[in-house]
Amino acid sequence: MAAPAVSQLRSSKTESYVDNKRKEDVRQANITAARAVADAVRTSLGPKGMDKMISTASGEVIITNDGATILNQMGVLQPAAKMLVELSKSQDTTAGDGTTTVVVIAGALLKQCLLLLSSGIHPTVISDSLHKASVKAVDVLTAMAVPVELSDRESLVKSASTSLNSKVVSQYSTLLAPLAVDAVLSVVDPAKPDLVDLRDIKIVKKLGGTVDDTEMVKGLVFDKKVSHASGGLTRMENAKIAVIQFQISPPKTDIEQSIVVSDYTQMDRILKEERNYILGMIKKIKATGCNVLLIQKSILRDAVTDLSLHYLAKAKILVVKDVERDDIEFITKTLNCLPIANIEHFKEEKMGYADLVEEVSVGEGKIVKITGIRDMGRTATVLVRGSNQLVLDEADRSLHDALCVIRCLVNKQFLIAGGGAPEIELSRQLGAWAKVLHGMEGYCVRSFAEALEVIPYTLAENAGLNPITIVTELRNRHAQGEINAGINVRKGQITNILEENVVQPLLVSTSAITLATECVRMILKIDDIVTVR
Amino acid sequence: MNLDLAKPDPLPSYIYVLSDFLRGQQLFSHLFSSRVSALSFRSTPLRFYLFLVKAELIGWQHIDFGFEWRCTSISHFGMAIERILKDDASEEKGERARMASFVGAMAIADLVKTTLGPKGMDKILQSTGRGQTVTVTNDGATILKSLHIDNPAAKVLVELDISKVQDDEVGDGTTSVVVLAGELLREAEKLVASKIHPMTIIAGFRMAAECAREALLKKVVDNKANEEKFKTDLMKIAKTTLSSKILSQDKEHFAKLAVDAVLRLKGSTNLESIQIIKKPGGSLKDSFLDEGFILDKKIGIGQPKRIENANILVANTAMDTDKVKIYGARVRVDSMAKVADIEAAEKQKMREKVDKILAHGINCFVNRQLIYNFPEELFANAGVLAIEHADFDGIERLALVTGGEIASTFDNPESVKLGHCKLIEEIMIGEDKLIKFSGVEMGQACTVVLRGASHHVLDEAERSLHDALCVLSQTVNDSRVLFGGGWPEMVMAKAVDELARTTPGKRSHAIEAFSRALVAIPTTIADNAGLDSAELVARLRAEHNKEDSNAGIDVISGSVGDMSELGISEAFKVKQAVLLSATEAAEMILRVDEIITCAPRRREDRM
Repeated sequence: MAAPAVSQLRSSKTESYVDNKRKEDVRQANITAARAVADAVRTSLGPKGMDKMISTASGEVIITNDGATILNQMGVLQPAAKMLVELSKSQDTTAGDGTTTVVVIAGALLKQCLLLLSSGIHPTVISDSLHKASVKAVDVLTAMAVPVELSDRESLVKSASTSLNSKVVSQYSTLLAPLAVDAVLSVVDPAKPDLVDLRDIKIVKKLGGTVDDTEMVKGLVFDKKVSHASGGLTRMENAKIAVIQFQISPPKTDIEQSIVVSDYTQMDRILKEERNYILGMIKKIKATGCNVLLIQKSILRDAVTDLSLHYLAKAKILVVKDVERDDIEFITKTLNCLPIANIEHFKEEKMGYADLVEEVSVGEGKIVKITGIRDMGRTATVLVRGSNQLVLDEADRSLHDALCVIRCLVNKQFLIAGGGAPEIELSRQLGAWAKVLHGMEGYCVRSFAEALEVIPYTLAENAGLNPITIVTELRNRHAQGEINAGINVRKGQITNILEENVVQPLLVSTSAITLATECVRMILKIDDIVTVR
Repeated sequence: MNLDLAKPDPLPSYIYVLSDFLRGQQLFSHLFSSRVSALSFRSTPLRFYLFLVKAELIGWQHIDFGFEWRCTSISHFGMAIERILKDDASEEKGERARMASFVGAMAIADLVKTTLGPKGMDKILQSTGRGQTVTVTNDGATILKSLHIDNPAAKVLVELDISKVQDDEVGDGTTSVVVLAGELLREAEKLVASKIHPMTIIAGFRMAAECAREALLKKVVDNKANEEKFKTDLMKIAKTTLSSKILSQDKEHFAKLAVDAVLRLKGSTNLESIQIIKKPGGSLKDSFLDEGFILDKKIGIGQPKRIENANILVANTAMDTDKVKIYGARVRVDSMAKVADIEAAEKQKMREKVDKILAHGINCFVNRQLIYNFPEELFANAGVLAIEHADFDGIERLALVTGGEIASTFDNPESVKLGHCKLIEEIMIGEDKLIKFSGVEMGQACTVVLRGASHHVLDEAERSLHDALCVLSQTVNDSRVLFGGGWPEMVMAKAVDELARTTPGKRSHAIEAFSRALVAIPTTIADNAGLDSAELVARLRAEHNKEDSNAGIDVISGSVGDMSELGISEAFKVKQAVLLSATEAAEMILRVDEIITCAPRRREDRM
């Protein structure tokens, strides 16, 4: 056909796009709102990023540096801004770290898109080009990455500390980073290395002490007191532990019942029967040799009564009560035992064994520690300490990020340099690639490349360095082939960032780029906001 | 009551006068001071609500008399209304009613118009309800479904027939229907303005639609016989459908996924057995098709995590306690021991129930309701995998795909149909653990796991995939295929044009108009892509004047291209449904000559 040939010549011209006023307004509003969100978290990027204080609706105060947390608490209303919040959440689920980075990249991309739109490029053309650029970017990143072995503990610790360095608790990174690595490695199942469930790592927060006192416990920790209402034990060696899901209290039926008492002697008899009933149960328990009981919380009736506690204490059985049902799985997995739901099923083979169960005073409160568990399952418990609630919460969040980083590395065993090095390298390579592309695509890819420079720029800015000088020097170094040159925030200059041990998992960088692009493309394609029921 | 306000001439503007008589007078005098002062308003204490006064301002300067006549009629009108309809009820007649319908329907069409075609835009749907949830979509059906609509004609377009039918039966083409119906009405409006009777227009439209359908039928390609070719056809259709959606970038991947899923169905259109699970995280490319069924639940504690050759009992029964359901039932006892006895009896009952269930010879038990700790342990002791709280949808599907039946009593093991599957195991997607049933009895069953950046992306991906699956499953049954990219519309338009030329009488105007409306679809596609639609459509028309042209709009390169080379195909069934339902909807709205709005029901408590 002759017609297409003719049109090829003019195709670049016809890719232009004339929006009507309303659509332009909607798009403008969306982009502005989304960028406002991005700007809000921008200053918290990097090791010298600042923290935000958030006062929630309930009057609670949160101090954090974690992008996902900040955005989550912001309570934005504008639909496009909400999408950015979602974006940071999905980065949190995929990679766990880089939640600020992803939003900052999205903001920078939107800024570039606005320029492209105003020069009359059709949004779908921009969107397609962005997609192409992001695919290419992932290729470039993969090419830059350094493979890492799980046995190489040092590298893992390095990347965990990179993640921790940008948090409030950065001064403790030497302590927390190895801890995170050990915790993850202890739950990895060698048979299925790609399945790491972070729910197998339990973080117990306890106020008091400093973050320095944070430790990983080989065993179980309950943030509870041992029930010693009537002089019960607080320490038990060579423990035989049973997890029970029934209650040691007077019987209660599901059907409504009432006991009719007609005379005084009957009352006495009922009291006696109650005692005998409980005693009978405890005898059965004692007969199996069990000496530690973990009792599940019950909403239907009291799990234990004062009376039963008294008898249990007499029988020298240590009791931890009010264990949540959700925790049962974790506990049984750790102790390598089975939950017992009926006194009739109380058998020895269902119990777990540990060297020591003891109540430990920690700061103001007390916790129960179970250590030396025989045949311990693949779980880990981390006891986090902090001098106040704010620090404690932030330590928890930071530790979670560090755990995620390690998990990423277990899933995808590649490391990449940090400190803005990958971004500037991407920017350089994509910029070069844009020059060989034709038409609008090349134009859009170049904008994409420029947008990526926002990361080193912001890093430098947040560190109080001159962003322009730093970024231009960085560009210069990369142009000379030093692909691992990045910003060394501590020294305030450009160095080989791999040598400085600033590394992060490849998955964090790639998913930040792909997710941010996906989100921006979605925002671009919207031309109307319709209010519905 | 025989009032003929609409008769004189088509008038360009409406003035709503919302008032009682006196305020009306003020407004009149405000608008047309000099004229109105000359009029004598009879001082009858009439109240009249909501007037729709058509006013041709220029006309009035010449015919004062006419205006006076109208005002008199109005007062009569008001009096009559008061007798017939309730206070808040209103009535629109003749020309006005038709106008209102046209305007409403066209507004709806214009709203969804921009989502048409591969370069169509998305809309944000912001809910005003609680939570202010946000949906981002390109799917016409979703947009239309969630709109607040007051205009009755627009409602016709949205609710009664078309887009819902289109979405449920054919799955795709909802936007096209609405756009085509809107264009037909736009054309009809012009014809009515030039004093052609609506019935004549309808007759013409019908002839045209029939002729267009014939034209399409002549051009269809049916590759049913050749399996290889048929599969490529399906791929093409899937890609074409997906290219206008969010999945466009990964359309190869998803088209393959959708085709595989549909081919597993082996001709049935029951999409129930294709389950779609959405898990945030990862990117769209990580989505995959898995044979079998995936249930988003947890396995009970201490139970086997992997079972081969499973016999599955799907049940909906209370596994907490079998309560006596008689209101106020209670037992009276006189000692503690008896309470303990009752408790033991209850336990015993539950144990018996579990024993009965186990007597079915199962090794997997799925319940819709909760399974309490006690029965859970009993199951664990028996080495049976028990899954609690599988939601309604979950167990129904599970029963369907494993070939079992949902049981709620367990007295007769032989009468209960058990489900079977080769393997049950725990898998991990993203951060969550799920249970996978593979090798299920119903071989058609499969699960599509969608991954994506956020819930918005996932929801939209699900909608797009659903559309593609619908179209494909329809195509498997009716394998006639057409080209896409505006090609069918041009073919139809050409045939309809010819018909117009050979048809005598006023109808031919309507037929011609029909053809113009058809061309509006490629025009919209081109407009949405930011192309010069006038130029492109003209070139397309010229191409189609040749015999057997495959020309359509190639949005990617922005020109006219060969649709068979580009591999853009559509299902005949979709096109036919678009054509017929759009025509019918337009016809229905054209026939309207009176709209009666009923008085809203008053709430008693407001008094």
